[in-house]
Amino acid sequence: MMARRMRGRGVAASWYGIARTATIDRAGAWAELDDGGTAKVVTGVTEIGEGILTLLAQVAAEELGVRPEDVTLGDNDTARSPEAAHAGATRQTYMIGNSVALACRDARAKLFAEIADHWDVAEDTLRAFNGELWAEGSNLKMTMEEAVAVCKRRGVVPVGSGSFTAHGTGLDPVDGSGSPWQAYVFGTQVAEVEVDTITGEVQVLGIWAAHDVGRAINPRGVEGQIEGGVVQGLGQALMEDYQLDKGHTTTHGFAKYILPTSLDIPEITSVIVEDRDPLSPLGAKGIGEPALVPTAPAIMNAIHDAIGVRITSLPATPEKVLAALKAKQQSEQQRQAAE
Amino acid sequence: MSDFEMELEVNGRKVRRRIEPGQRLLDFLRDDLNLTGTKEGCGAGECGTCSVFVDGKLVKSCLMPAAKAQGTKVETVEGLAKPGELTPVQRAFHKTGASQCGYCIPGMVMAATSALRENPDAGIDEIKERLGGNICRCTGYTKIFEAVELAREVIAGRLNPATLEADPAGESFIGNNVRRLDAPSKVSGRLRYAGDMVMPDMLHMQVLRSPHAHAKIRSIDTSAAEALDGVACVITCDDVPGEDGFGVFVHDQPVMARGKVRHVGEAVAAVAAEDIATARKALKLIRVDYEELPGLFDPEDAMQPGAPVIHDYAPDNIVKHIPVRKGDVEKGFAEADIIVEQTYETQQVEHAYLEPEAGIAYVDADDVVTVISPSQNITHHRHMLAHIIDRPINKVRFIMSPVGGGFGGKEDMIYQGMLALAAMKTHRPVKLVFTREESIIASAKRHPSRVTYRMGLKKNGRITAASFRMISDGGAYGMSTEGVMRKAAILSCGPYDIPNVQIDTYGVYTNNTPSGAFRTFGGMQAQFATESHLDICAEKLGLDPFEIRRINMMRDGAVTHTQQKLGSVSLARVLEAAEKASRWEAGPVGQRGPVRGDLGGEGTRQPCTLGSRIKSADGHNKEKVA
Ligand code: FES
Ligand code: FES
Repeated sequence: MMARRMRGRGVAASWYGIARTATIDRAGAWAELDDGGTAKVVTGVTEIGEGILTLLAQVAAEELGVRPEDVTLGDNDTARSPEAAHAGATRQTYMIGNSVALACRDARAKLFAEIADHWDVAEDTLRAFNGELWAEGSNLKMTMEEAVAVCKRRGVVPVGSGSFTAHGTGLDPVDGSGSPWQAYVFGTQVAEVEVDTITGEVQVLGIWAAHDVGRAINPRGVEGQIEGGVVQGLGQALMEDYQLDKGHTTTHGFAKYILPTSLDIPEITSVIVEDRDPLSPLGAKGIGEPALVPTAPAIMNAIHDAIGVRITSLPATPEKVLAALKAKQQSEQQRQAAE
Repeated sequence: MSDFEMELEVNGRKVRRRIEPGQRLLDFLRDDLNLTGTKEGCGAGECGTCSVFVDGKLVKSCLMPAAKAQGTKVETVEGLAKPGELTPVQRAFHKTGASQCGYCIPGMVMAATSALRENPDAGIDEIKERLGGNICRCTGYTKIFEAVELAREVIAGRLNPATLEADPAGESFIGNNVRRLDAPSKVSGRLRYAGDMVMPDMLHMQVLRSPHAHAKIRSIDTSAAEALDGVACVITCDDVPGEDGFGVFVHDQPVMARGKVRHVGEAVAAVAAEDIATARKALKLIRVDYEELPGLFDPEDAMQPGAPVIHDYAPDNIVKHIPVRKGDVEKGFAEADIIVEQTYETQQVEHAYLEPEAGIAYVDADDVVTVISPSQNITHHRHMLAHIIDRPINKVRFIMSPVGGGFGGKEDMIYQGMLALAAMKTHRPVKLVFTREESIIASAKRHPSRVTYRMGLKKNGRITAASFRMISDGGAYGMSTEGVMRKAAILSCGPYDIPNVQIDTYGVYTNNTPSGAFRTFGGMQAQFATESHLDICAEKLGLDPFEIRRINMMRDGAVTHTQQKLGSVSLARVLEAAEKASRWEAGPVGQRGPVRGDLGGEGTRQPCTLGSRIKSADGHNKEKVA
């Protein structure tokens, strides 16, 4: 006899490609070092929740020598901003992040050229960070506000633009051969579950999620993506089920379509692995989608570890778990009877 | 019931207004007082985005008639702190990164505030219980829990409020936990999503949707609807001036049904009127003469020769087949010591972003047709709409409003075309907000899949061959199916070095709700099969699950299933990281649970048991409050 509550663990690995698939992906951005040592960055996207605006402000601040809060981001508007294309395909950090980095480098180069001439130092001795600009090996230093003012007095507005390309190729129509992405990420998750063998209910108690993101621009943001992905994966593993009866849905609201809520949430331990992308200025890859991939199979493998039944059709609802347990018991009894 | 004059206090100020019968408190706050921090995620008491305090008690304002608030004190998210300031709860949400899309966040902040007002010492289990009526689709709740615990400590004086400030810049902003710049606007309810926006002289749109899964449209009579007072226009496919078709890959979907409907909930006609009630009334006056056709509800039926045809251009009902071949699978299977076969199924999944679809379209003074909506791809939508309305591309403008959750579900241009057509016909701004039910029946889902797997392995665990065949229900329109099939095929057999593979993925038309883009784009369905299959194989071979993965994993310079040579491959690193972090106890796959020594340690929570977790101040358990 099995105990009522059985625990087990499972693991699943995964891989994923960054940016649009089997095609050339591209994105553009504009940047300007502005009065007061602030900055304007224009791209064609806005936040869908992943934290892209904060990440772009960090990238722009780092590249321009200002602070993230000094960066004004605009303008998710096809008539006012360069092409950025879609907010999906785990492409925002990679495509937009890199195009913003390139645009900012372009703008910074214009500023540095003027300041180097103004100070009579070599351009490559100039550094800028956190609102200040200085020349290495000297005591020359000024604020970014002063630097922009000097640049403008000399007749130059420090503006820049950037375009970033990811070189994917199409797949051969016969054997599928091709190089769909230039950057890949890998992940592994371990799940620990407890199965109630009387009710069939599965609780996920812990998830350990290790993901390569290339380079974590904002580690807390990466964790947020992993946690959100894990919980969506958990929902699909255990409860979510859009049902149709001859094309008519029977799950037309959240009373019928069950989503994970606060009591379903396991403790989630994120481990960020950084294998930098060699083909892009930032070295970052992405995490939005890949975080979800291994969760459901890790949970199914953990259920198997706990109670010896394998659920091959999602979701593993209590009814399915109980039916599988029953089938297992019957086949064991038959085997014993035959022996 | 007739209009009645209501008096109440909202956020500390006396308010006296005439309200309409049947008006919900939610509508009163949003429409009459313009307090749009209170959101409507479901309208049915199931999501908590509409949470407010009425006389200090947390209530769901979508369930409360406005009239019932007569004489009460109402507090909304806008009223928690003085303008420009944030409460410790709001600041803690900012600090921990608890807001992502932000759509659930005002409601979450209210529920968290309520939890700590009810019990300033609430422990984590009680906090979870008290947030149980609020859904968040983005964050996985973890950072929200962290925020509430952090706020509790600051409010209690056990932590210095400076904990809520930004981390120092250090040496670089890259790798720094810079607090989200958009968080203050989200935790305070100030950020306006498309559904919160209003324009002067704006019309309201409602959409007539198909009650049939597959039917011919003989005729549509809109005359009675058009004649109704307050109706500005009715639009159907006849109003499309250009090439009528959109889709992420094939443009097989008309803005509104053209000649036939292919799924329940498909848009057939739309009304723009002075108010929503009039638009709804007008929908009932539209007469559509349908002739029902046999429907297809299973992709395998749809693949049978002689099956009814859903789209003329695809007589075999196949949206896309992606083949991938490498090596010689027959030879690979012949070399194997064991061959393991199994089928896998995944279900259709709803995105359930908390922000239902919404948008406003207008024609500006320079004749630019402009659509504001939470579109995940304004670049492509602009292209498609320009063809549909037959205007030069610079006369079409898309503005992406803050997206209250997308996950791929807002890549399809399922309503922006109707808004544009109505704005062009009336030259007035037109707004449409989906109800939750409408969002569920009309928007794409994650593709359900069936995978037939066959894998050959040597006794030492080395995979010699894999054949993978996946059939996916694409539903009534192509949407992202082609791309989903492609990504599923490329990723299918996982990050493993398999010399011989035969992979086929098929996306198939049926008369079900369309399937489209959903976070992982087919990658999840395919790898669910692979990762389950590897464990079955490991069990047969007596291997530890990490071990079978290591034996077969791609390494630096590996050649993928599509014969791409990779550079650096981080799989070994992530396997090791997960194994270490979880303190994994090695052993062969099987029912090991009861004998494992690595269970229940750090990184796990306590299981929930039935019964309450809410302790009252005197230490007694209270009934769970619904
Ligand atoms: S609970 Fe009121 S809108 Fe969802
Ligand atoms: S942040 Fe909670 S629903 Fe998006």
